[in-house]
Amino acid sequence: MTKIIEPKKQSNIFRRPSSETGIWSWITTVDHKRIGIMYGYAAFFFLLIGGLEALVLRIQLSQPDNNFLTAAEYNAMFTMHGTTMIFLAIMPISAAFFNYLLPLQIGARDVAFPRLNALSFWIFIFGGAFLYSTFIFGTAGAPEGGYLAEEVGWLGSAPNGGWFGYQPNAGMKYSPGTAMDFWAIGLQILGIASLISAFNFITTIINMRTEGMRFMRMPVFTWMTFAVSFLLAFSLPIIAIALFYVTFDRKFGTTFFLTEGGGDPVLWQHLFWLFGHPEVYILILPAFGIVSEVLPTFSRKPLFGYAAIVFAGFGIAFIGFGVWAHHMFASAISPVAQAGFGLSTMVIAVPTGVKIFNWLGTIWGGKLKLNTPMLFSLGFIGMFVIGGLSGVTHSVVPADTQQTDTYYVVAHFHYVLFGGALFGIFSGLYYWFPKVWGKMYNETLGKIHFWTMLIGFNLTFGPMHWLGLQGQVRRTWVYAEETNLAFWNVVVTVGAFIIALSIIVFMINWIFSKRNGEKAPFDPWDARTIEWTIPSPTPVWNFSKAPVVKSLDDFWHAKYGEDDEGRSVRRDSADQLLQELEEEGLNPSEDIELPNPSYYPIILASGLPFLGYAVIYYSVPLAIVGTLLLLIGGFGWGTEPLEEAIEELEHE
Amino acid sequence: MSSSHTYPHEPTGVETRKLGMWVFLSTEILFFGTLITTFMIFKGRDFPGMKLTDVYDIPFTSISSFILLMSSLTMVLAHNALEANDQEKTRVWLLATAMLGAVFLAGQIYEFTEFYHKGFELGTNIFSSTFYVLTGFHGLHVFIGVVLLLALWSIGQRQKGLTLEGGMNLEFVALYWHFVDIVWIVLFTVVYLI
Amino acid sequence: MSENHIEHPSPKKYVQIAIVLGVLTAIEIALYYTEDIVGVFTDPLLIILAVGKFVIVVGWFMHLRFENKLINRFFTGGMILALILFAIVMFERASANFL
Repeated sequence: MTKIIEPKKQSNIFRRPSSETGIWSWITTVDHKRIGIMYGYAAFFFLLIGGLEALVLRIQLSQPDNNFLTAAEYNAMFTMHGTTMIFLAIMPISAAFFNYLLPLQIGARDVAFPRLNALSFWIFIFGGAFLYSTFIFGTAGAPEGGYLAEEVGWLGSAPNGGWFGYQPNAGMKYSPGTAMDFWAIGLQILGIASLISAFNFITTIINMRTEGMRFMRMPVFTWMTFAVSFLLAFSLPIIAIALFYVTFDRKFGTTFFLTEGGGDPVLWQHLFWLFGHPEVYILILPAFGIVSEVLPTFSRKPLFGYAAIVFAGFGIAFIGFGVWAHHMFASAISPVAQAGFGLSTMVIAVPTGVKIFNWLGTIWGGKLKLNTPMLFSLGFIGMFVIGGLSGVTHSVVPADTQQTDTYYVVAHFHYVLFGGALFGIFSGLYYWFPKVWGKMYNETLGKIHFWTMLIGFNLTFGPMHWLGLQGQVRRTWVYAEETNLAFWNVVVTVGAFIIALSIIVFMINWIFSKRNGEKAPFDPWDARTIEWTIPSPTPVWNFSKAPVVKSLDDFWHAKYGEDDEGRSVRRDSADQLLQELEEEGLNPSEDIELPNPSYYPIILASGLPFLGYAVIYYSVPLAIVGTLLLLIGGFGWGTEPLEEAIEELEHE
Repeated sequence: MSSSHTYPHEPTGVETRKLGMWVFLSTEILFFGTLITTFMIFKGRDFPGMKLTDVYDIPFTSISSFILLMSSLTMVLAHNALEANDQEKTRVWLLATAMLGAVFLAGQIYEFTEFYHKGFELGTNIFSSTFYVLTGFHGLHVFIGVVLLLALWSIGQRQKGLTLEGGMNLEFVALYWHFVDIVWIVLFTVVYLI
Repeated sequence: MSENHIEHPSPKKYVQIAIVLGVLTAIEIALYYTEDIVGVFTDPLLIILAVGKFVIVVGWFMHLRFENKLINRFFTGGMILALILFAIVMFERASANFL
């Protein structure tokens, strides 16, 4: 059925890739769905690694004065846990959702720049691999007055200055060796990946919407993608420059953040949190979007206050740029700044509260169907409210200075990022599972997953609140027996293992259902948005013909009308409509033009790690190799003919 | 592009690639903003007797700034010529722009070596560090711009010549080039004059 | 695409603009040398001149004047955001260092 017309002339370096299956088809793909799936698997792999690191930390803390890990190893583990979870797990899982769903939700055939999309994915993969290659190549020597070199070991040879890399602790003097260089340059590479995808998504949303898909008809998930892309586009450049400075300080003898040379360590904190706080919303807003899709579907009601949710999302994104210094209340910033940022932190709770009430209003009076996605979304609301409330307590500066660097803070941000972001992500994974794989997941296993995770999560992070208020300090590898902290620490560790168990249930469900699950109908949830008007799994060409959108929740209105009292009633024609849609979705009646696969994204991306190693080892040959790869990739990219080799689907 | 567009792209009426380029330039503001902020914060923090401002060669830098400014004119003339589909003129102006950019870069290299010989290394003091990183980052942008211009020029030598359609075409290179120029307008004032 | 473009200026116009830019640059350099005479007004004047040149290049050479409003909003939005954020950082650092 599918036929590729061969390019007439090969003026390029390589022949254009043409395989449709097998590994090369995945490496050269520019299909947003495949890229999304690859993002998802890669991110889940890193989620598992980050989880293992967390378990290692919890084993160390399960009893007082434990020596399962050395101090050096503990430092490396908590640094890598944070860095991995934020940059290699949650952000890319969100990117997986963006990639897969965004074009489907706005009725497009692909993103605006398919090759850039592939480039961003490969840069992410190379960046992650580069960061983790620290376990092979990295060294973390013994800092002056710190632990001894023999305590470092293999586990300790990873970056050890915290995911926030505070200066001067992360400088050469207190973090000798190359490990922190891997961290700085690794994040730099990962930042490029996110930045490219941000341009791509912004342009896609503005310019690839199908007919009738006005801004105020877009699904909330698309809106949140839009907001996140803005946050990425405007916050990542700041951290990129700050990481440049760190690299220069460590490798080329400058003193941007070192007081002995006239530098300013607090400036690092400013630049880091100017990025770091928007980053928090970069992590949570996708989950907001997912939940805003799941709740109306399973409550069988429209989203309560669509416009309010959209504007609240942008309110959060905007104010999110103005609260960064609340991470620095314990640093040397001026009292005026403390007061100002305390206030703005309280203010940002308002749009967040608006969203919570909207979600509650959506559930209110609905006919709830408690499937796994719904459970996770409900769990999300509960856990996120707890995390949000403990967050507001941090806006009170005197209280915050008490809580800073204790487990209270750890509890807070895990309630928002695990109880919030990750619960939302799992909700989305179950919700769109049928769309992606064309199979149904196992509902019983899904529910077991939810309940074990909810219990494990609360056992893990609930007690951390009081551990923190009792004074247990974060980022510290031991606590003394006399502190009476042992009991709750055991509970926390048990909770962490229950979470691990729930993840195993999830994986079993995923693997089993993907292979042997029931065949999914293309609209299993009686959903509202247009990605459900196409067959499951999604055909390569997405929509057989460009959909025309007439209202918000277009698909719902196609299926449901209103009776005299304004209640939703399923139209008689609904079943016939579904049948027609399936028929049409599988058999496009017109020629379809798809973006062509390309080798150049991966070639271009592969140059970056070489440049990274070149800086770390002051190696000119590596720099030349990296530059050459960039040039070959860039040249091939620029000269690759776009108009030739059009893939057409010939309908007979 | 092929004629069989089944999709109503570009509901905003702005060309997608151009929109993407402008989004990119908007974020570039944040890159340079961070660098300039750092420069401003560290301004004046040099050691006694080692002030970079004392060795600034304002007449020299003024001339090279002027050259970069004029390269924006040649760039826009190249764009204009291509809109009139005058391939010959387009190529000439493109090459002129690339040459002016190269002269600016040469000037910057000369300036850096001069400062270096006068004892200002990258890590000499915080002010020299910010100076080199800030102007160097801009220089890197100019360098990339010159490479892009020369690439365009060589594509223009081919029989088909240049068009304003498709991938990385003259219009986007022009936008990038002008952006590099406006950054220097700011830097010249902030770094040298104030 | 290019059909619905608003007419761009002529080469002559571009040259005139470039002359204006050149003159503004000359004034900037003159101001640098006359700092003793102009006094406290030097820096504000220099900033105004730089902003003027910036706007001219963006508006005319980059054709922002002739582009869709959307692009305009984007660019100015990024600009304003950057200015606010970095102004806060600079003031905060200045006050923390000298209080």
